[in-house]
Order: sequence, then structure tokens, then C-alpha cells
Amino acid sequence: MTTFVLKRLASLVVLLVVLTAVMFLLQRVSKTDPIVAYLGRGATGPAAAQARHHLGFDRPLIVQYVRYVDDVAHGNLQMSLHTHHPVMDDLKTYLPPTLELLFTALGLSLIGALILGTVSAMRLPGAGLLRLVMVAGAAAPTFLLGQLGVVFFYRRLGWLPATGQTSRNGVPTGPTGFLVLDALFSGDWPLVMDAVKHLVMPAACLAIGPAVAIGRVLRSSLMSSMDADYTRTARSKGLRESAVVLRHALRNAASGPAQMTGLQVGFMFAGIVVVEQIFAWPGLGSYTVGAITNSDFPAIVGVSLVAGAVFVILNAAVDIFQAAADPRVALQ
Amino acid sequence: MTLVQLSGAGEPGGGSSGASWSDRSRRRGDILGRVRSTSRQGASRLDIAAVSLLVIVTVVAVLVPWLAPHDPKLPIGTAFQAPGHGGLLGTDEVGRDVLTRLLFGLRASWLAAIVVIAAGLIIGGIVGVVAGATGGIVDSVLMRITDGFLSLPAAILAIALVAALGPSFAHVLEAIVVVWWPYYARLFRTEIRALAARPHLEAARLAGASRWRLATRHLLPGAMSTVLVAASLDVGAVILTLASLSYLGLGAPAPAPELGAMSSQGLTYLLAYWWIPILPALTVFALCVVANLAGDGVRDLFESR
Repeated sequence: MTTFVLKRLASLVVLLVVLTAVMFLLQRVSKTDPIVAYLGRGATGPAAAQARHHLGFDRPLIVQYVRYVDDVAHGNLQMSLHTHHPVMDDLKTYLPPTLELLFTALGLSLIGALILGTVSAMRLPGAGLLRLVMVAGAAAPTFLLGQLGVVFFYRRLGWLPATGQTSRNGVPTGPTGFLVLDALFSGDWPLVMDAVKHLVMPAACLAIGPAVAIGRVLRSSLMSSMDADYTRTARSKGLRESAVVLRHALRNAASGPAQMTGLQVGFMFAGIVVVEQIFAWPGLGSYTVGAITNSDFPAIVGVSLVAGAVFVILNAAVDIFQAAADPRVALQ
Repeated sequence: MTLVQLSGAGEPGGGSSGASWSDRSRRRGDILGRVRSTSRQGASRLDIAAVSLLVIVTVVAVLVPWLAPHDPKLPIGTAFQAPGHGGLLGTDEVGRDVLTRLLFGLRASWLAAIVVIAAGLIIGGIVGVVAGATGGIVDSVLMRITDGFLSLPAAILAIALVAALGPSFAHVLEAIVVVWWPYYARLFRTEIRALAARPHLEAARLAGASRWRLATRHLLPGAMSTVLVAASLDVGAVILTLASLSYLGLGAPAPAPELGAMSSQGLTYLLAYWWIPILPALTVFALCVVANLAGDGVRDLFESR
């Protein structure tokens, strides 16, 4: 187990190095001049040449890369060409709302996957309908879900708001940066309700795709663990069916879906960009869309680096968690 | 009814991948047999329908320039006409025919998805076959690189890649190929490693077949069916990824009829003229459903052999 954890952590470090290398190379491939990225647009002439030398862009690529990694490690992600702030500061502003959305969506998709997976694997009533839901959910682009959501739940029914994190001004910004939690801490119940209402629709749109993907994996692994000997044993001991499923079958079927969840987070980042744009959610996604339209490459690299790191670390955590839950994984 | 009997008799023994004519006709019988005995095999009639849809959509995609009623980039009348009033599906914010633009968007998405998958299969195939057939240090180096690609988040990498190269439809395709081939490389390699241990490969090796001949004549054909099934299941995912990148403004610039871009540019009109953003999104959805059902169909047909 210890060897497994150490190995997994070592590969995590390698992956982070690869990630920075890819981002570094992309930066060199891109049409954005790094000097412009440091000094802002309009940097030309001797000042630019001096900056080029000072910042080391006339040195060999490998030296530049080491310098880049050093910068990243110290939280220096260059200047945004669009907002004119250091990208790191922008990330600190925009990351919390995105994480709030991401975690909520992840929670919803796990609940959804659990329902889809168990109901369809055990052929409970409604399984046929859920099959349709799964076919549709796997094929629906996030932007279709978002737009339909706005048209029905905002325009037609008027149940949910369509834009932003809250309809109030001057909301608390600390201590977690997650508006729902912050509102809870300040004991402002109307604000909690308001924030939850704003959160529901974007999170649900984001959750449907992953719920189906995870649900499918859960369905197939649950079906094979329902056929396994230990399930028959549990049943023949006279356990209630719910106990058989929940405590024996489901638990053994968890590892495939856990891995799928880790992978889905990578896709959710792309979905978040789309969803935040539709719902005007003030997070990293909206920031990325702004960066794309303004060809603000330093900002795009900064976001990709952070999102990529979150993804890689999360997947390492999933693997370790899985090994802890099921010792067979560590031996493979 | 003979066809059904034939297929019933043919099933358990079948499964060799050498396709002689008699083999092929038996497979045909198998397909028809499965259609007729839906109760036993599940939704096989649906499988056939889905696979034929695949062909139909491809034909439509190719024929769009002749099928489309108007020019996708020129206005045909008043802007913001509701579906049924101006043109079959209305007009957009500039007065262009929505149906025409959807057809051209469908064509671009569908053909692009096929190109992406084909390119991914070729690159992944070369890497996977070389790694699997050579083994040793070449294998480990190639597979480490592949694993490296697989462990980075594909969507984020693709966005960053297109942003670096500059937004354009070709760059979107390239970016998706870059993040897509590793899956196929892995799959090819796994299949080839499994095949390499089989007796007929040993026989070929003993008969003095060269490495090239072994790889191209014995290993590759054997790995093909599994990989093709996986690839056909991926078409929908590629269409979605394409549409998302295009939605984010990473595809071709404004007047080009791309489904994702049409939907995102129409977002402003969502509440007043819903059809402008929603119809392109629905088209992506429909294409994706067709692709997924067809992929399932292809898998079922291959597995039933």
C-alpha cells in the first residue's frame, strides 16, 4: 500500500512537470509574444529588447522552461492582456465561484449516477424510462441543456433565475468564497435561498452528462457484482435485499465508477466554460470565454494550468482512495 | 425462415475474421436472423435501423450543397421569421435561412467527426501497432507517452491548443486529434499484445514472416474489429467536443455555418427568438443520438458474430 501511494505520488509529480512543459510549449507556439504578456500590449523598441534580456527570453529554451516552472511554483502566472491584472490575482477572484459550481454539479451527478445505475442494473420499475434518459443525457450538448433550462424554468415557469450567482448586491465574500456557505455563516437565510436558486440550474446542466457516464459504468459493474459469489452468500444468509445491494454489491462495484468520476471532472471543465457563459456565472469559465475572445493567451494558459493541476491531483487522489478501499487495486 | 435457421446454426462456431464470400453471406444471414428474432436478442432491429441511419446521415452530409434550398451565408428575406413563416425553419438574425445553415452545419460536424476519428485511428494505429509488435524499450517509451496524454485533461488541453494556434475550424480538428489518438494507441496495443500470443501468429513467425508482414497482415487485421467498434462508439463524443469548442468561439469566424458557433452567437436572442440558438443545439443533439445509437448498433452486430 505504501509503495503504491509513493509510486502514484511520483507519477503525479511527473505529470505536473509534463503539464507545465505542455503549457510552456504552447505558449511558445502561440502568436502571443511573451514580452507583450509581461509588459502589456504596445511594448516595442529598446524597452522591449531590454525586458526580453532581463526576463531571459534570449536564453536557451530549457533555461526558459526552468524559469517558467520556478515562476509557476511561486504563483507568478504573468499578466493578463485583457484585464491587466496578474493572472494569479484573477484566478483567486474567479476560482471560488467555479469550484462552488463544480462541487455542486459533482454531488448532483453522483446522486444521479447512483439512481441511474442502481435502478437500471436491478431493473426496478422505471428502468425503461431511465434508459431513454441515459440515451438523451449522453447526447445532449451542455449548451442545449442550459438554453432549454433558461427557456423553461426561467421564461415559462419563472421558477429559477437565469443569470448570476445572486440577485442581491453587497453579498459577503468570505470566508470560504462559496456564496451558499458564506451566506450560511452570516446567518442570512434569504440570501442562502437566493444563492441556492441561482446555483441549481447551472449545476444541474453540468451534472447530467457526467451522471449518465458514471451511471453507465456503475450499472455494468453493479450487474457483475450482483452476480458474484459474495452476493449470493449475502443473500443466502437471509439479508434484506437492500442490505445485499447497499452493503455488499454496491461497495464492491464502486471502483470503476470512482475512476470514471475522476475522468469526468476533466470534461466538466469544458462544460463549466459553456455553462458559465450561458448563466453569466462570475467564475473561471466566463473568464476563459473573455480570454478567448480577446486572444488573452496568458490567461488561457493560467486557467488551463490550474484546471489541469486540479484534474491530475484529483485523479491521483481517486486512485489512492480506491487502493485504500480495495487492496486488490494496489497489487495490480 | 431458412435465414433464421442458418444464422442460428452459424453463431457459435463463427468468429474468425478472415472474410471469404461464403463467410460474408453467412454474416448477412446472421443479421437478418437477428432482426427476426428480436425477442431473444433485444433491440437488434433497432441496431440495423441505427446503422443504416449512419449511412443515411453520411449521404445527406455529402449531398448538402445540392440539397440545401439557399446559400448559407446570404440573407433570403426578413430577419427573425419564426419557423414556418420564412423558410421551413425560419430565418436568423441576419435573415439567412436557418434550415440551410443547419444542413451545412450538420455536414461540417459529421464529416469533421469522421475525419477526426480516421486521423486518430491512423496515428493511434501506427503507435499502437509499433509498440505492440516491437515490444521492449520501444513499447515502454511509446506507452509512457500515450499514458501521459491520457492522464492530462483532454478538454482543457484542446481548448489551450486551439487558443495557442489561433481559432479556426482546422485547428479545432487538429486539437481534437491530438487529444484523441492516445485512446486508440492504447486499444491497438492491448489487442495486438493479446493477438501476438495466439498460435496462428506463432505459426506465421515460424514460417519466417517478416516483422512488417506480421504487423500488417496478421496483427493489424485482427485488432481492427475491436478498435472500429470503439471508434464508432466515439463519433458522438467527437461531435459534442467539436460543437463545444465551436460554441466557445474557437472555430471558424462568424458567417461560417457551424452548429456550436451558431448556437452561441444566437444566445442573445434566446428569449425573443428561441429557434436561432436552440435549433443548432438540437441538431447537435440529434446527430449525437444517431451516432451513439449507431455505435451501439455496430457493437452489437460485431459482438453477435
